[in-house]
Amino acid sequence: MASVQDGFRVQVRVIQALTTRELMTRFGRQNIGFLWIMVEPLLFAGLVGLVWSFLRGPEAYGLSVLAFVVTGYVPLTFLRHSFGRSASIFVANSALLYHRQIKVFDFILVRVLIEAIGTMMAFVFAAIVLIFFDLFPVPQNVGSLLAGWAIYAFFVFSICTILAPLSEVSEVVEKLVPISVYISIPFSGVFNLASWTPPNIREALMWSPMVSGMELMRYGVFGDVITPYYDVSKALGISLVCLLAGLILCRRVRRMMSVQ
Amino acid sequence: MIDCRNIHMDYRNGSLTKHVLRGVDFTINPRDRIGLLGRNGAGKSTLIRLIGGVEIPTQGKVVRKMTCSWPLGFTGGFQGSLTGYDNARFIARIYNKPYEQMRGFVEDFTELGTSLRMPVKIYSSGMRARLAFALSLAIEFDCYLIDEVIMVGDKNFQDKCKAEFFEKRSDRALLLASHSVDLVQQYCNRAIVLHDGEAQIIDDVHEAVSLYNAL
Repeated sequence: MASVQDGFRVQVRVIQALTTRELMTRFGRQNIGFLWIMVEPLLFAGLVGLVWSFLRGPEAYGLSVLAFVVTGYVPLTFLRHSFGRSASIFVANSALLYHRQIKVFDFILVRVLIEAIGTMMAFVFAAIVLIFFDLFPVPQNVGSLLAGWAIYAFFVFSICTILAPLSEVSEVVEKLVPISVYISIPFSGVFNLASWTPPNIREALMWSPMVSGMELMRYGVFGDVITPYYDVSKALGISLVCLLAGLILCRRVRRMMSVQ
Repeated sequence: MIDCRNIHMDYRNGSLTKHVLRGVDFTINPRDRIGLLGRNGAGKSTLIRLIGGVEIPTQGKVVRKMTCSWPLGFTGGFQGSLTGYDNARFIARIYNKPYEQMRGFVEDFTELGTSLRMPVKIYSSGMRARLAFALSLAIEFDCYLIDEVIMVGDKNFQDKCKAEFFEKRSDRALLLASHSVDLVQQYCNRAIVLHDGEAQIIDDVHEAVSLYNAL
């Protein structure tokens, strides 16, 4: 038991050190540094939200279009960045594998963690600004907002643990990683609520943990105006299976890796 | 003690497989000074990387019962885009050593001055070797894995290495891959000669050197 605890403590230290290092190499110490991570999701969600508001009017299905787009797009940029950054992540960091306590799994965890924190900051920032201008509802249920976000992030992370090792062994997968983002959009619950879809499709959408996460997040923001559909045990079950597959793949690929 | 048990290592490229090591067995005891001899491509660096846990053997096992440095060589261990200080801070964190103390030692040992504020990617191999040695000495391992790299240093660096490794830390174990027969003869008590994927462990260093010279 003691050795498990020691191992855990070592991993916590490694993850802290890697996070600091990643922030420094990616954003540097100049100008706004880490805050850059918020800029892209904000611009993206903000501009798409504005375009939608112009095209469809400020409200649809009784919801503010801008708020709907922001709640959908901010998590989507997290997904896109996390998938994109998983490609070739092992080779890119291989100089650090000289230190035995650093595991390839840590690389994935740290990148997804940084993206998740940046996304959360962007979300909070956007919400505060929009609430101030009365374009965004005050979140009705913060608990379900956080629960939905946790489910969403956990699933994205589990998929990253699969994409990262596969992208090392197969150039085809490496090239296909950007496409995986587009494939996942219809299953991500960004553009619609499950309650807008026919019951048979709704049933099928429950197989996507992202839909469950997204529905919970939107329920957390909009409250009883919408009827959320989610299946937490299915979402967590699927994510755990993906994570297990990912861990096995990581281990196998690590054994085959030649480190320069 | 570090135990290498029946280590095999293959590298594959498409249909071509290169067997670099075919069953290497030996033990590094505390205080052992082992010279690792072999021609270019014999598998010296590969063996050191496997013992350091950087790569994982195709077959067989490395059992580490004492702490063991990362392979100190020309590459690896550093993040090129970060400065010397930042790399030192990173390594202090992951090895759980107080950074302040490490910083002092690194400044002292490397004598790199303001270069420590520059990214490591612009360092020469000699400067890199200084930084790697300083960091690993500050961490205090039981066993040091050294891949060639002492020889890239200038006289001042070589003297420092000798003082730190062979005088101050004579209680530590050392695995030293080198083409410098003199260095091995002078400081090692045992030697391994790698040839054709097989390792011969020889207790008499002079005998090992003549075997190596005959290859």
